[in-house]
Amino acid sequence: MEHATSVVIEPAADRRPPPLAEHLNSDVTRAAMLIQQEVLGAARAFLRGEGFVEMLPPVIGPVTDPGARGSKQVDVDYYGHKYKVMSSGILYKQASLLTFEKLFYIAPNVRAEPVETCNTQRHLAEFHQIDVEIANGTRADAMGVAERLLTYVVRHALTAVPEQFELLERDPLAFAWLLSGPFGVLSHREAVDELHLLGHPQSPDAEIAWTGEELLSRQKDRPFFVTDYPKGSRGFYDRESTTEPGRLRNFDLLAPEGYGELVSGSERESDYATIVTRMRETGENPAKYRWYLDVMRQGVPRSAGFGMGLERLTRFLTGLDAVWQVNAYPKVPGEMAP
Amino acid sequence: MRAGGFPEEQVRARARTGAAEAFPPVESYGHEVFGQNASGEAQPADELDTARLVPPVFMPLRLEKLIDLGREPLQSDVDLTTAVGGFTSALPVFLSAFGSTRIGSSEVSVAASRQAGALGIPMVIGENVVPVTGYRREPDATTGMLARVRAYLDEAGPSLGGVVVQQSTEDADAEVWNLVYSDPAAEPLLASGRLGFELKVGQGAKPGLGGLTVLDRATAARVSEQFAIDDLWSGPGVLRSGSPGTFTDEILRQQIRFMRNNFPRARIWVKLHPGRDVAQAAACAWEAGADAVTVDGAEGGTGWAPRAFLDHVGLPLAECLRRIGTPSGCLLATGRMWEGGRAVKALALGATAVGLGRAALTAVDTDPEHGLRKLVECLAFEVQLLTSALGKYTPAALSGEDVWFPGRSGAADPAPRHRESLT
Repeated sequence: MEHATSVVIEPAADRRPPPLAEHLNSDVTRAAMLIQQEVLGAARAFLRGEGFVEMLPPVIGPVTDPGARGSKQVDVDYYGHKYKVMSSGILYKQASLLTFEKLFYIAPNVRAEPVETCNTQRHLAEFHQIDVEIANGTRADAMGVAERLLTYVVRHALTAVPEQFELLERDPLAFAWLLSGPFGVLSHREAVDELHLLGHPQSPDAEIAWTGEELLSRQKDRPFFVTDYPKGSRGFYDRESTTEPGRLRNFDLLAPEGYGELVSGSERESDYATIVTRMRETGENPAKYRWYLDVMRQGVPRSAGFGMGLERLTRFLTGLDAVWQVNAYPKVPGEMAP
Repeated sequence: MRAGGFPEEQVRARARTGAAEAFPPVESYGHEVFGQNASGEAQPADELDTARLVPPVFMPLRLEKLIDLGREPLQSDVDLTTAVGGFTSALPVFLSAFGSTRIGSSEVSVAASRQAGALGIPMVIGENVVPVTGYRREPDATTGMLARVRAYLDEAGPSLGGVVVQQSTEDADAEVWNLVYSDPAAEPLLASGRLGFELKVGQGAKPGLGGLTVLDRATAARVSEQFAIDDLWSGPGVLRSGSPGTFTDEILRQQIRFMRNNFPRARIWVKLHPGRDVAQAAACAWEAGADAVTVDGAEGGTGWAPRAFLDHVGLPLAECLRRIGTPSGCLLATGRMWEGGRAVKALALGATAVGLGRAALTAVDTDPEHGLRKLVECLAFEVQLLTSALGKYTPAALSGEDVWFPGRSGAADPAPRHRESLT
């Protein structure tokens, strides 16, 4: 296969995907897919090397992850019953700890995101996650795996397909800090303070808004963790701190340069009564989670885990303007696409 | 439709003739003498109706208005524009949820939506509208939630009012809020800051219970996974019961934070039933960031309720307002609102606005085109008359000193009240 040695890369921030044939036939798409292929291979090699077993995730189920801010789950008619397309595999990952102590999925997810997210350059309605779960793991364990995984994947991709980075005019020096040392860590409270110092409004009780996340990310030269999000900002499965009630034992991993969130993870709640109560606190009707609650009632190991957004990671690597550029069949929220 | 235990004929008269109904028939002017209860209303039904509005003799706020205007102020100088739960409303009035009772979910609701839009007042769309009657249906559907939003927006101006979509425990299965928030059709509301979501904790007609509706058997079969179905009658109808949902102070606090987190561009409202701990629940909601808390007095509701609940359960609205005292956020009151006197008393006792439920349904049933508009115009005229008589020129200036309860010595506590600033 022949590739051009350089391509004209137009700013995509204000553009939408072109017709699919044009997109699929683009050198930019081709380069992004070749880098993504290295990401997938490296992620699998790394995780298997650390003792994780790859399982294949379900596509539909009676319930799915309700924790995605403001997005609608997609319903399918399943023999007359309303089933959901997976918005994330979290519920199944927890249950699968009965099979393996360390497992991962490369999972497709669908979320009908609010239309406003079509302008974040970071949201697709259909996307993939590298979904990791560790039985008896702590948050620190999960953060460690995420950091090592990201470092491994970046190092591998830069070595494996340097010509694709060159073609996309992505300077490998952009990753020098990432490869040279440990990632930073700040608490949600510290992140809020930092945003306030930058003159940016941010509720201390809520998820960091997309604009704030991008702003924080622009201040940094290497990936960094944000930990201890407030209760009310995440799903019922993120475990609440016993020493600091109202704070969750969770984390996000954000890329520098304005690319923002790559990973969300947490220690998981595994106590049945606490899960039911937390479901109510997040406005959920426990009745519809019957299979999951039955499993939790029987008992699954405590765990920690995370999901790493595959397209977001690939976008960060490629340095492209918008996440749709790194998906072969991009579905921008609110737009009808093949 | 029939609305029993409710001044139905007076509401229908207002829906037909509008503000003229604020007075006895004009033909009687100069020919008859009138005294108390000349309006022919039924005997006062609750404490709020029994209370009287008590204008003072000395009116420092009227002097302020006189100086401001450079002439003596009149009732037409009362500015009714009010900040209601994060929206700007033309009046201290909003359209309450009708729920999914048969009359509440039919074309009547669409007609009411159109008139609420034209009036520039916020409108609440009830729980269960989506699980029972659907969201979109066909693009040109004349019922369902989207038809109501469209009807409202067709008539609304660019900045007044807002649409508030309710969700309760059973609606969570239908993801009503996620559905609306991610729907391009909601963008005009979001872009103008006029979309709100209301967490329905309870309702006035049946405190402690969830929604009760009579459905035909075919519809009941369709929703039997989500609701309890009781076959109580020999006819075609069966009873559908929804779960009221479980709340503690932490559950309420976190649900509100979760809503704010997930829907940052929407206003957050909370509707409470007249529970004995209504003051704590309202305080908890405001503290968690609710833009408005609606208290539905035990006399309220389009909801159809068991007899035992209609007669024996829940605090009357006046007692709810008394327990809440000075609200620390925007307080909305509902429960048999239909005319200016009861509305002004509720405003004086702490409410920022009052909601029309049964009265609105009755008005639209009387005249689908103009009934609600005429009913509200009459109410607004009365609010202006009464407020100016109290020497005040905004609803926000009303306070407890303006209300007298029989058997209580002196005036009520004239405590200052929460007000949102109009922006």
